[in-house]
Amino acid sequence: MEEFLATMSKEDSLNYELSMLYKQWGYKEYRMAKFEEYSFYSDNRDFLSGKGILAFNNSDGRLMALKPDITLSIVKNAKLTCALTKLYYNESVFRMSDSTMDYKEIKQTGVEVLGKVDDYLVAEVLSLAAKSLKTIDKDFVLSVSHMSFIPSLLSELGIGENARKEIIRCVNGKNTHDLRSICEKNGVSADKTELLAKLAGINGRFDDVIPVLADLACNEEMKKACDELSFIAASMRKSPLAERLRVDLSVLNNTEYYNGIIFQGYVEKAPSAVLSGGRYDKLAGKLRENTQAIGFAVYLDNLNLYYNKKREYDSDILILFDSADSSENLLALVEGFVDKGFSVRAEHTVPEGYRAKTVYAYENGALKEVTSC
Amino acid sequence: MLNIALPKGRLGDKVYELFASIGYDCSEIYSDNRKLVFENEENGVRYLLVKPSDVAVYIAHGAADIGVVGKDILEEGDFDIYELLDLGLGKCNMCVAAPNDYVEDFDRPLRVATKFVNIAKNYYISLNREIEIIKLNGSIEIAPLLGLTDVIVDIVESGKTLKENNLRVYEKIMPISARLIANKSSYKFKGADIDRLMQKLQEELAK
Repeated sequence: MEEFLATMSKEDSLNYELSMLYKQWGYKEYRMAKFEEYSFYSDNRDFLSGKGILAFNNSDGRLMALKPDITLSIVKNAKLTCALTKLYYNESVFRMSDSTMDYKEIKQTGVEVLGKVDDYLVAEVLSLAAKSLKTIDKDFVLSVSHMSFIPSLLSELGIGENARKEIIRCVNGKNTHDLRSICEKNGVSADKTELLAKLAGINGRFDDVIPVLADLACNEEMKKACDELSFIAASMRKSPLAERLRVDLSVLNNTEYYNGIIFQGYVEKAPSAVLSGGRYDKLAGKLRENTQAIGFAVYLDNLNLYYNKKREYDSDILILFDSADSSENLLALVEGFVDKGFSVRAEHTVPEGYRAKTVYAYENGALKEVTSC
Repeated sequence: MLNIALPKGRLGDKVYELFASIGYDCSEIYSDNRKLVFENEENGVRYLLVKPSDVAVYIAHGAADIGVVGKDILEEGDFDIYELLDLGLGKCNMCVAAPNDYVEDFDRPLRVATKFVNIAKNYYISLNREIEIIKLNGSIEIAPLLGLTDVIVDIVESGKTLKENNLRVYEKIMPISARLIANKSSYKFKGADIDRLMQKLQEELAK
């Protein structure tokens, strides 16, 4: 199987490996249509945070959209037949690309859990996120944050929406110098400003950071968040992947939709996050009554670029044959090689730039090694 | 090895001197040649000299781990990076400037010449003022003199160019200075090295 995966592109092999991983953990594959009514996405445009929606009129005049997001669609459409629904998907979304400012098809895989989400499920989803990252690259970091920390502190400051947005932008960028001046301009007290700056800078292993956070927690929500992070640390302690987890409170997301644990995953060769997820009870509750949810998406686009598998040869064997000759034995010979695990290409001439470990000429019903190319 | 993107020019020279003073020197950088990449394996640094407006692009795409860039560039673009430190170098202001005798007419949209389209747009959105932007790439000061626009939005350092063209600062938008930025993924994997450099920079700047 490993040899087979080695012949695939990074994106294709990840698709396969991650699907197997999610299946092993009892998640069911969820397939969906490529289109959905535009109004559904426009009603939840904030959740898409300016990703752009590709819309068109279908044959009966209804305005439709090519899916810009998977989570929204799953939360709205998945059949919740039991207390807990565990799903995984392999889908494409269509969004505006930041680099080309044009629409782009982006391949995504991920998991969603809908129902009653408890501490165990949070730990399970985090563990799956870590395993997904490890499948991409053993050098990975999963940055974990909690939506109750900084947002709950911001709610106490009595500042306007614009100032709040500016502060969140500074926190996302670990920009404590501008954060201090925005706080000063908006009359935030010096001790709260310093607390915000400290929280924005926090980035470290769970066991090192949790005692610091426990000291800094100054309201009930922050204390509860600290307990939740402690539970995760305890649950993950025995896992070899635990050393790859960091608490980083600069990871923040839309407070209207997300609550609780949120996280982003990085691998060494990719310049930006390749995995993003978290608990989104607020969004789930908006679309389905009494439903909590947690999940994550792995962004497979561009991974082929950063993890380009350079293969020495296009195939192990190239067989050159002349169609004028009888080729009745040829198929059996090719099948024989394939059954032994070799990759084989049968051709009339050597394709331009083709590299094969061994080249055979098929003559008179037999193979004769000629030269390598 | 830390890959550091520096802006070519006066600001880059100042920043390099600052980095060299805290132990990240690379004497090859002074050699008179057209090379754009300089490495000092011993100090664990590789400097890339790039166009100032491209520094943040190199960082955002992970071609360099950290870099130094003006706040004007960061505000004009939308880069998913960490902005770790205000170096306090290259201080100036982003301003609205107008002819000395300019009186604003609120009956019509304001015509603005600038190369900082997003900064101008965001500033006037915050004032709820309707504007028309004319994007220029240089000699912005000429626009109001020729009646092309009412005002300009540009960086003002000493104000000398404005004065020589009979213009004055009409409104200050924001202070600008050089910022130390980092690629988010690099910070996850080289965080200890970046924090060490940042600590040394903070100590040096505090002197």
